[in-house]
Amino acid sequence: MNRFSSIPVPVMLLAALLAIAQDDIPGRKVPSVVMSPVPTASVTRGKSSTVDLSFRVGSGFHINSNTPKSEFLIPTSLKLEAPTDIVVGVKYPSGEDRSFPFSPDEKLNVYTGDFTVAVSVRPLASVLPGKYVLRGNLKYQACDNAACYPPKQLPVQFEVKVVKAPPPPRKNPGQSPHIHT
Amino acid sequence: MRRDPVVLILVALLVTFMLAFGFHRARRVSNQIGAPAPNAKGGVAPDFTLQSLDGKTVRLSDFRGKAVLLNFWATWCQPCKIEMPWFVELQKQYGGQGLQVLGIAMDDASPADIAKFAKDLGVNYPVLVGKEAVGDAYGGVQFLPATFYIGRDGKVVDKVFGLKGRGEIEDDIKKALGQGQAVQAQK
Repeated sequence: MNRFSSIPVPVMLLAALLAIAQDDIPGRKVPSVVMSPVPTASVTRGKSSTVDLSFRVGSGFHINSNTPKSEFLIPTSLKLEAPTDIVVGVKYPSGEDRSFPFSPDEKLNVYTGDFTVAVSVRPLASVLPGKYVLRGNLKYQACDNAACYPPKQLPVQFEVKVVKAPPPPRKNPGQSPHIHT
Repeated sequence: MRRDPVVLILVALLVTFMLAFGFHRARRVSNQIGAPAPNAKGGVAPDFTLQSLDGKTVRLSDFRGKAVLLNFWATWCQPCKIEMPWFVELQKQYGGQGLQVLGIAMDDASPADIAKFAKDLGVNYPVLVGKEAVGDAYGGVQFLPATFYIGRDGKVVDKVFGLKGRGEIEDDIKKALGQGQAVQAQK
C-alpha cells in the first residue's frame, strides 16, 4: 500500500492536464443547462408570490441573456403554461457583459454559471386551494469560446400550493366597560 | 517518506504513456468531431441542391473544377460572424485563382433576415438556405461554424469545426486550390 502512495498525485495532475487540453476542442463537451429542484411553494389566492428557478450553465459555455445585444442572437426565454386562473410573469436576471476570445472587441450580454429566473405566481380568487403543477420550457442557445450550438429547450416544471387568504382581521368589538379579572 | 526508485520509474513511464495516449486521443477526437463518414478527408464531398437567397438553384457539382470553401453558419453564431468578413476578403483575393466560397445558413431565421445579416457583413459569395439533410450528409453539423475545403476534383481536402484563425483558413484555401490542379490541367 505504502509503495504506491505516491502514484495518485502525478496521475491526477496528468488527468487534469488532459482534461484541460480536451476542453479546448470545440464540440468535445455538449453544452448543458440544468435546473435545480424547486420545493413546492405556497401561494396565497389573490396575491402575487415569487418562485425562484435556479439554473446552471455547464462549465466552459455561455448562453445569451434575455436581452442580448444583437437582434440576431437568440435570447434565453422561459415559456410557462399555467393552469387557468393562475397568472404567471417571468423576470429575468441581468446578463453579464463579457467579451470572448472569438470577438475580444465586442461584448455580449450572457449568462454563465448560475442564474435565477424569478417567476411571479398569482392565483385568482376563483382558484380552488390545492397543488398545481406549472410546466414550460427554457429556450437557450449556447456557445463556447470557438463554436455555437443550435438552440435547445430545457423542460421546466415546478409545483405551487394554492392556499386561501387568511380571513381579514375583524374590527375590534366594542370594549366592555367592565374590567375582567 | 522513502522513495523507491522502481516506483518512481514506473510512475514516470505511466505518466509518459498517458501523456502520449491523451494527446493522441485528443487529436483523434478533434478530427472526428461531427466526423462525416462519407466526406472524410480525401473522400468526395456529397453533392447537394439548395436554393440561394436570390432564388437560384445551386448544386455543389456546379463548381467542379473550382476549389470550394463550404461554410456552414447561422445568424445566431457569433464566431461565424467573425470569419465571414475574412471569407469576403479571401474570395476577392483567391477568386481569380478558382476559389468559390459558398455559405450554407443552418438557420430558422427567414431568408429576408439571413439576407440582411449577410448584407451587413458585405458577403460577396452565394449564401444558400440550408437543409438538415445537407448537414447530415456532411456528418451532422452539430455546432457552428463548420467549414469544408473541397479541391478542384470535388474531394474534401480538410474540414474544420469551430472558429480558426485567418491564417489557417488561408492555408486550407491554398491546399484546396492545389488539389486536383493536375487533373484540371489534363482536361
